[in-house]
Amino acid sequence: MVIDLRKCVGCHSCSVACKAENDVPPSVFRSWVKIIEKGKYPNVSRSFLPSLCNNCESPICVRNCPVGASFKREDGIVLVNPHRCIGCKYCIASCPYDVRFINPIRKIVQKCYFCHHLVDAGMQPACVETCIGRARVFGDLNDPNSDVAQLVAKHPVTVLKQEMATQPQVYYIGADLDAMDPMKGRLEAVNSDR
Amino acid sequence: MDFQTIYNVPHDMPLGVPIAVYFYLTGLSAGSFVVSVISIISGRSDYKPIGRIGAVVAPLTLLIAPVNLLIDLEQPLRFWHLFVYWNPQSPITYGSFLLTIYPINGIIYAWFLFRGDQKLAKALGMVGIPLAIATHGYTGFILALGKGRALWSTALMPTLFIVSAMVSGIGLMIALATLRWRFFSKSSTPVEHEQDRRLILSLAKIMGAVALFDLFLVGNDVLVLFTSKVEELEVAKLILTGAFAPLFVGVEICLGGLLPAFLVFFPRTGRRVRYCFLASILTLIGILAMRIVVVIAGQSTPLH
Repeated sequence: MVIDLRKCVGCHSCSVACKAENDVPPSVFRSWVKIIEKGKYPNVSRSFLPSLCNNCESPICVRNCPVGASFKREDGIVLVNPHRCIGCKYCIASCPYDVRFINPIRKIVQKCYFCHHLVDAGMQPACVETCIGRARVFGDLNDPNSDVAQLVAKHPVTVLKQEMATQPQVYYIGADLDAMDPMKGRLEAVNSDR
Repeated sequence: MDFQTIYNVPHDMPLGVPIAVYFYLTGLSAGSFVVSVISIISGRSDYKPIGRIGAVVAPLTLLIAPVNLLIDLEQPLRFWHLFVYWNPQSPITYGSFLLTIYPINGIIYAWFLFRGDQKLAKALGMVGIPLAIATHGYTGFILALGKGRALWSTALMPTLFIVSAMVSGIGLMIALATLRWRFFSKSSTPVEHEQDRRLILSLAKIMGAVALFDLFLVGNDVLVLFTSKVEELEVAKLILTGAFAPLFVGVEICLGGLLPAFLVFFPRTGRRVRYCFLASILTLIGILAMRIVVVIAGQSTPLH
């Protein structure tokens, strides 16, 4: 997936569409938009960072799952087998992106699966379908004619925490460095800097 | 520049106090088992009480420990998946087998020890030492392979866990041996009584030395955290000056590490059983604090 942040207006439509499509209970999110503000008036700006599972190419969660409930499909989507997951939460603890959670109703681990049920039916993930600015683009990166492959080829892109060697598969165009930093904008981090 | 997070979705902390208590109990078990076997292998009759106490305590603590894991599972009735569906890359897969084999071995070892069959007990003890170390070492690997968490993903973690297990295991042995010496040795002769006293004091010296080595490892860990990347620096600040400072610096380092080491090595307190008993209780508290700090503080820095 490619997310073009020059087109994102921070409307949270993707978060809502995801909730509706995937029956995500209250208190947890598979996809959400992180918002930060920086600077002092009049020199201020607000940045958005739509956040979701990166469906990494070499996922730590899959490597650490003791029962093989987390697995990577041949097309690269990382799934959790709901019947096999024992809820040990080790995958949540090892994920560097904090995108996994316990479904409070079903008591198993869940996360974004790029709406694989829609993708298998030849449709787009719900967040991509609903994005009003068409900031989200989904497709096959190995197909040079796909929109995602062309966007990644033509633009400077970035991913979250490249140093984790997970090879995240959500690419951002025009992402703000400070929005991608987990420590920025936190009260305790601000205090410790002064 | 001013930064303010307007909106974000943090998820609940996945692993809590039950996991820390589980690490603590396996540590106690591994430590006391190793002490028990070493005292049996040495063949000295004055070490015998320690060998027996350890042989009882090790399987007992390890029978309680997995209960913490079980109640922490979101789907406790699916625990058997661990034995049917394996993932050879996951430390928990190894752990679930170690957690089954090690206590069984420990119970058989204790059985032969109390039956008086020294030869078989020694053999089973020799098999049990690597099992005990692996059973506690794998818990260190669980954290070390949690790559996303800055406090956990260090190669030092399994070693740190095994050394702190030895500290708490010897601490528990001293505490129990002192109770036995004080309250349950009415029938023993004055010579035996004096032997037991010396045994407690010498165990306390060993505990003090291992506790100092443990502090050395913790010091190395924190020093490298401070000179490492942003997230490492942030978590180092959190445990040294932040919300976890009272528990880490106060309880783990001072109360549970430096003070007991002082008590056992300072000549005036080191030759009194009551101070060694106090030191052993303090290390037991200190190591519990260490487990809680590692598990909870390790998950307390934001990831996104």
